[in-house]
Amino acid sequence: MDYTVHDSGNLRELELRGQITFEADGDFRTILAEWQQGGIGDCVLNLSAVDYMDSAGLGLLVMANNAAKQAGVTFRLKHPRGQVRELIEISEFHTIIPCEF
Amino acid sequence: MSGSPRVVIGHPRPSAAGPLRDVLGRLGIRHVTVVDRDGLAGAAAEAPHLLLLHAGLPGFGPGLLAGLRAEAHLCDVPILVLGRFAGSHHRRALMQAGASDLLARPLTLAELSARLSVHLENRRLDRSLQEVILSLRTYHHGAMQRMALAREMQLGLLPDATACRLLESRYGITLDSHFESSSELGGDLWGARPLDDQRFGLFLCDFTGHGVAAALNTFRLHALLARTDLPADDPAETLAALNALLVGLLPEAQFAAMIYAVVDVGADRLVYATAGAPRPLIRHADSRLEVGPSCGLPLGVASGARYRNHCLDFPSGSTLLLFSDALYEARGWDGEMFGYGGVTDLVRCLGDGAPDRPLDRLLDRYFTTMPRLLADDLTLVWISRTGRSPSGPD
Repeated sequence: MDYTVHDSGNLRELELRGQITFEADGDFRTILAEWQQGGIGDCVLNLSAVDYMDSAGLGLLVMANNAAKQAGVTFRLKHPRGQVRELIEISEFHTIIPCEF
Repeated sequence: MSGSPRVVIGHPRPSAAGPLRDVLGRLGIRHVTVVDRDGLAGAAAEAPHLLLLHAGLPGFGPGLLAGLRAEAHLCDVPILVLGRFAGSHHRRALMQAGASDLLARPLTLAELSARLSVHLENRRLDRSLQEVILSLRTYHHGAMQRMALAREMQLGLLPDATACRLLESRYGITLDSHFESSSELGGDLWGARPLDDQRFGLFLCDFTGHGVAAALNTFRLHALLARTDLPADDPAETLAALNALLVGLLPEAQFAAMIYAVVDVGADRLVYATAGAPRPLIRHADSRLEVGPSCGLPLGVASGARYRNHCLDFPSGSTLLLFSDALYEARGWDGEMFGYGGVTDLVRCLGDGAPDRPLDRLLDRYFTTMPRLLADDLTLVWISRTGRSPSGPD
């Protein structure tokens, strides 16, 4: 996985690419550490360029959601495609993390 | 390596080996034995760390070297030869016979010291490496034995052949299953148990990740499922109850995708609920394939999660296939994901004349397009309603 950061005021959009699996753990921890530093009120994960996510990837979303609550960051997902959308839907992750389909 | 290195010097006149002893002494070698030709075999038998031979020993030559090298305890000991060597042919013969190095005279004591030091250090490092390798081998062997035992225990969680045959005869079904871990232990679990004469419960669960941590969670789930206070005949309530128990047990970011179903052979239907699990597949008697809905938070993610029951017709002649996500998330040699389309194609290709237990055939076909080394644990459960009447109560 790799990602690009777009900041606009206190809104941060992270455009993720590739696969969200256990290997993305390090990138997620970097992303979450930056929330702790403050200055970000709203964070959106744009998943449109993610072509695969497994259950460990879902685990990273749970971890991010919990970290967002602790840091006072509003966290949401947008534009999952293909298998990623299917996984989010059958797992009903949009019921615990707001997701714009 | 324990203690100071032991060095044996073979010298035609041991009394003249004083300078060699001094050099070794300055290198910190305290155990030096000097012997003549007659004493060589005895001293060499005590497995020295280095052997220094004077080429003036009576009978010295490639034959003597080869004889020493042939001894098991000397096969990797440095054997240095000190002397004058007539020519390259002679030097090559000595090296081929087993000499580690030739110390050609004239030679200063400083050079001799440096050469001995290099060989002693190499020998020390080699011995340390051998000890590390031995230690790793011992650890690996023990770990493999423990892992094999753990794997036996994990396989013991699954319904055995007797339990499967009892279900088959009681409910008029045939049952086939496949359980394959991507490493020694896996994070999948499936099971089935009678509820009454018409109904039995069936589940397939897949914990996040694979390997030891995921396997430990399967043991947790197995213990929880043995609780008698679970509402086992109501899939949605069963999942809600299991979720409530697992939320407090599983670490953050670990959870379980699970389908729990009740097969009712009296009402010809399947009632099931899912928690992030793959969709079930039903093949009807007319060969039509139906992929059921699936929605629900995986178990262990959020307390208070609610689940929904879905109902599918499951009359005689139809077949149910449950599977873990590894089946359709696997990528073929072309890099494309297998997908639900691939799964339905697999079942379609079995045709109407499929055997009662067709999973071997189905997977043979699957692995013609998929790499055999799985990235995730793979479990399949195949249940066909044979149309033969259930045996009913005994």
